[in-house]
Amino acid sequence: MKDDAHVSHVTVDPGAAHASARTLVLNGALPGDETLAPVEEALLAMLRDTGTLVRDIQLRDIPLAYCQGCFECWVKTPGLCKTDGDAGREITGAMIGSDLMVLLTPVTFGGYSSEIKKAMDRSICMVSPFFRRVDGEVHHRRRYRRYPALAAVGVLREPDAEQERIFRTLVERNALNFDSPVTAVCILPADAPPKVIDDRLASSLEPVLGHLAGRAA
Amino acid sequence: MSARRAVLLVGSARPSGTGNSEAIGAYLLARLAEGGMETEVLHVSRCQRPEKERLLLQAIDGADLFVLSTPLYVDALPYLVTRCAERIAAHRAEQPERSTVRFLAMVNCGFPEWVHTCTALDICKVFAREAGFEWTGGLGLGGGEAIAGRALEKLGGQTRRLRSGLDLAAEALLAGRAVPEEAQALLARPAIPSRLYTAIGSIGWLRAALRHGTLRRLGDRPLESDRTP
Repeated sequence: MKDDAHVSHVTVDPGAAHASARTLVLNGALPGDETLAPVEEALLAMLRDTGTLVRDIQLRDIPLAYCQGCFECWVKTPGLCKTDGDAGREITGAMIGSDLMVLLTPVTFGGYSSEIKKAMDRSICMVSPFFRRVDGEVHHRRRYRRYPALAAVGVLREPDAEQERIFRTLVERNALNFDSPVTAVCILPADAPPKVIDDRLASSLEPVLGHLAGRAA
Repeated sequence: MSARRAVLLVGSARPSGTGNSEAIGAYLLARLAEGGMETEVLHVSRCQRPEKERLLLQAIDGADLFVLSTPLYVDALPYLVTRCAERIAAHRAEQPERSTVRFLAMVNCGFPEWVHTCTALDICKVFAREAGFEWTGGLGLGGGEAIAGRALEKLGGQTRRLRSGLDLAAEALLAGRAVPEEAQALLARPAIPSRLYTAIGSIGWLRAALRHGTLRRLGDRPLESDRTP
């Protein structure tokens, strides 16, 4: 995987350079917030143990403009955001080129942090403007043949069942709209000890790790 | 006694006067003004600089009613609104005594079904709790693209139920009550059948593509590589 011009903080495991499966981790920590660091460390170690190529992007460290809601990525430059000169195209390219995408985020009012949201909003170019029906609801048709599995790891400042419920629902809705083949959610308290982090990540992410193993085989 | 004050925050990134969120919010705000409230409109896209953000925080702290009208982006609040909500909650957490502000969230989406907005409305409710606002309710609207940034009154029967729902909401807010469920029930009923809405929407995309000379490229996969799974 090449180093990209705008994605300055990218960690790639050189030992997995020839791996056949790829994982993209988007870290949505806000500036000055280090509460995700121990979870990120454990997550990356676990993912690298699978033998896949892991790319970790700290969103707060890269230039990324916000989606302007113009829909030009659907009708004027199909599949590409009109905004060039930032990391947007690189990130959406990395998303669609991955077998697994992991969103690491502080749980923010039950949703993602603004850093994750900025990247997710820019990803609408990955789907078609046209429609399909899923269980009676209208969604967008897929643009690409395959989409990555989706996992979200949310860190909660304090226990909050309502925020957990909303977070899980949001990930399910994203997976539905992006046609992700497999989905997993892990929610951790901000003060979780290392053993709890390791155990919860392993159990919660089992479905997507199984998918990744299948892709690597 | 001074008039009560309502602040509308428009969550769309689109230019002023062109967004559906603004049109919906403006209609509600006009009803509140008719009821005697002082009103102010702020655009989240214009509150990015620190001095503008400070003014936004002051306006909200000094309001009796804070109304958010926003589009749905990827199943949740857009980045700009999420970031603004983070700042508002952090700012209000620092206040020794938080002012009493009531909060109404209105989320519109381009899909015909309003249920797509439920997660974003849930997020708004948690935001209200974290920021110390009094939750007056959430209103979700499907088929928002049919408004095309126009004033709701000019759209006649197409927005009749939407306007009735907003009228009910305004009436309740002016009386100091929470928004009644009947208001959401009115918004939940689509103005046109779902299949007609998506057919019109698809024609709209095709016409836009024709205008841009991209008709044959609408299905392009520019990010696809030999590594794309």
